Amino acid sequence: MTSPMSDPQHLRASSTPPLEVIEPTRVRRRHRRSRARIGLNVTAMIDIVFLLLIYFLAATEFKLGEELYRLDLPQRGLAADPFELPRDPLRVVIATTGPGEGGYTIRIRGPYAQPGSFQELYEFLRRNRGAETAVGGLFEQDHPIIIEPAIATRWEHAIDAFNAAARARYTNITFAPPR
Amino acid sequence: MSAVFRRGRAEVEANLTPMIDVAFLLIVFFVVVSQIVEIESVQLDLPTPQDPASERPGEEQRAVINVIPAAGGKTSGYRLGSRVFTADTQGIEAMTAELAALYRRNPTLDINLRADRSTHYEWVEPALQAVSNAARLSGRPDVIARINLVVVRED
Repeated sequence: MTSPMSDPQHLRASSTPPLEVIEPTRVRRRHRRSRARIGLNVTAMIDIVFLLLIYFLAATEFKLGEELYRLDLPQRGLAADPFELPRDPLRVVIATTGPGEGGYTIRIRGPYAQPGSFQELYEFLRRNRGAETAVGGLFEQDHPIIIEPAIATRWEHAIDAFNAAARARYTNITFAPPR
Repeated sequence: MSAVFRRGRAEVEANLTPMIDVAFLLIVFFVVVSQIVEIESVQLDLPTPQDPASERPGEEQRAVINVIPAAGGKTSGYRLGSRVFTADTQGIEAMTAELAALYRRNPTLDINLRADRSTHYEWVEPALQAVSNAARLSGRPDVIARINLVVVRED
């Protein structure tokens, strides 16, 4: 006698249809329907966005090293201080004589030792500035200094002369029209 | 079974929305900034004085005059903002009028002057003169003709 449990036919007949066969298909189908959302593929867009980003990063040039000298230009028509004593401005004549670093000449109008370089011009101006020496220098800090570049003077030499006076902490520096 | 399912759906995904937001913001920033830089500055070899006593630029409103370099230390014109003026009497007068109009709108405006190191002074000085004349032409007594000479600090 065979036990009903050992009869495979009985097993097949008596067992209910396995859930594993029916249920998953139903659920999977439902699941597939729920996952079918409308989505935007952003990969291509991100590619382009990053390309643009890198392009503008590389193409944009910030002038971070730029600095400036403040120069108050003389204005005709402004009322002068009637109590101010006339002061003879210190005139520094600059001329470019050739190409290269040393291609320039400096001449200070007046009975002064003539500087050979912008460094010497700076030292002359600093040495003779009133506040610098206890006994009093030749020029006050706001003594007018006029830089007179010749017509063909390169701008860099004009700026070097301006820098020498600004470094020596003079505050009243102007440029004269070219001669 | 449902537990198995839940585990299957838990895909690892990065949320790209904030990244795209930031990337777009950066792009807009660089587009705008690169246009401003292009308008204001011409490719110039600025002077680089030794031991400069120059200052860093502040936050004040400014207009920029570029002395466009040409061969032989000359200039091919002056560029103020996006407008280019010729280096003759008419051009200088037109630039002076434009500067005077700017001064009327903003009397505390700073003018930055950018000139190439090799440009001769005779071509730079008209720009200084134009700023001085524009301050007078503006008719405003509170205008101070202040020009900033732009250099490059090499450290």
